[in-house]
Amino acid sequence: MIRIENLSVHFGSAVAVHNVSLSVEGGESFGLVGESGSGKSTVLRTVMGLNRQWTGDIHIGDIDLRKARRRDLVRVAQMVFQDPYASLHPRYTIGQAIAEPMLINRMSDVDARTVELLEMIGLTAAHRFRFPHELSGGQRQRVAIARALSLSPEVLLLDEPTSALDVSVQAEILNLLNRLRRELNLTFVIVSHDLAVISYMCDRLMVMQNARAVETLTRAQLRAGDMQHDYTRTLFRASHRDRAGAGASAEAVRHG
Amino acid sequence: MSQTLVTVENLRIAFAGEGGTMIEAVKGVSFEVGREKLGIVGESGSGKSLSSRALMGVLPEHARVSADVMSFAGIDLLSASPRVRRQLRGNRMGMILQDPKFSLNPVMRVGKQIAEAIRLGARSLPSAKVRQKVLEVLEAVHIRAPERVYDLYPHELSGGMGQRVMIAMMVVREPELLIADEPTSALDVTVQVQVLEIMDELVRRRGMGLVFISHDLNLVSRFCDRVLVMYAGRIVETLDARRMHEAVHPYTRGLLACLPAIDGPLTPLPTLARDASWGEARL
Repeated sequence: MIRIENLSVHFGSAVAVHNVSLSVEGGESFGLVGESGSGKSTVLRTVMGLNRQWTGDIHIGDIDLRKARRRDLVRVAQMVFQDPYASLHPRYTIGQAIAEPMLINRMSDVDARTVELLEMIGLTAAHRFRFPHELSGGQRQRVAIARALSLSPEVLLLDEPTSALDVSVQAEILNLLNRLRRELNLTFVIVSHDLAVISYMCDRLMVMQNARAVETLTRAQLRAGDMQHDYTRTLFRASHRDRAGAGASAEAVRHG
Repeated sequence: MSQTLVTVENLRIAFAGEGGTMIEAVKGVSFEVGREKLGIVGESGSGKSLSSRALMGVLPEHARVSADVMSFAGIDLLSASPRVRRQLRGNRMGMILQDPKFSLNPVMRVGKQIAEAIRLGARSLPSAKVRQKVLEVLEAVHIRAPERVYDLYPHELSGGMGQRVMIAMMVVREPELLIADEPTSALDVTVQVQVLEIMDELVRRRGMGLVFISHDLNLVSRFCDRVLVMYAGRIVETLDARRMHEAVHPYTRGLLACLPAIDGPLTPLPTLARDASWGEARL
């Protein structure tokens, strides 16, 4: 579904992504893990066509990103951002926000589809007339997901979809995403710094550090702690909630 | 809990609502802080940040605060003058907020900002001594090249570095009480561990009292000695951090259950079914 080969992204003299390759099957859920600045979000943004300066090859479905027209790309892939407070227009009602992509793309039956989308993500038709500030953070993230689904894409690119939310709300959003993936047969690429979230959501994952891909693991390998690279192990120990006390994982960081 | 540093009894914080009504955001909270690590956990809007801000005395002016007792090291905070409270804030109480990007002065080198904090308490200290002290405290919070960091601006720091600079600025005054409001939520897990370790060291070495506010119950239970769980403006449960599994309140249990784990099951995560009775006063 997604094939990235030798992707490099430079911002001026800074290297944001260096020679990263990955491929994601249709219907698969793929995770990108790493610390801030490791380039994971840049990979996502580049796939969505939000960066101009890149080298390498990116294919999504049968679209070659180099030659693709924007309006073809948005029908196949859509993105959900970290901060639902920032990603919704404060002066658009929820209905307007969800309908906007459909109007731009001259689709018909926009109203009916808006209601259908709202119900799909667990809100009601009445929420159409609310403004973003009237909703909770979790509800706003649901709206952002509904908007991303409005053009019926096959791929959802999720950039830290739950890290701005309370843990209790995080569970609801993760459950929602899993249900949508199953029902709509979506392909996910999820960026997160939380290995537990990735382990729960993704079939395979890639660990990134300093703009490079460190290693790619399956979920089974992650769970078994079967990893080659020291950095992955450090990350694994730092986020292993059950085993490590704060002291023990601090040791891991220093010696890891 | 050896010496009690802070006593709060029946703290209430209200804001004016529409049509002259008052909306109570904190509804009668009582707790004590000793020379320990006290965690306060709850979701957004549960009143955990407001309660700690009332303690610091940094609530907005339109907030109505009332309490039966609110004292810090024997000083009655309710009757203390603004002047006394300002002195306490500078010297004996410190606060660290979630995002260092918003708490540091963006147009001032970080070394100077820490130096400013030192100068507030020791006006006559010669500048060479002040600089020396800044470098020492930067080293104490595990910054590897303090000389270089001294001359950097906040935007040149990473999140973890920025948060360590914030901690340095607070601890250089050696406060007796440090309130940390989500100090690690903006940080990567590996950096998070380092920041926690630094704060732990300060509590152990200097006998500081730490109030650690977070929405991450697992993190708090690993790091703190005692945990208060807040829901809708009330403390619903107080727990020994080592005995989190003995939690009885359905909200606490729900919070513990709803987190995914690396080796957890792949079935849908349990979500919180909120009960209206949780928000009511307990008898």
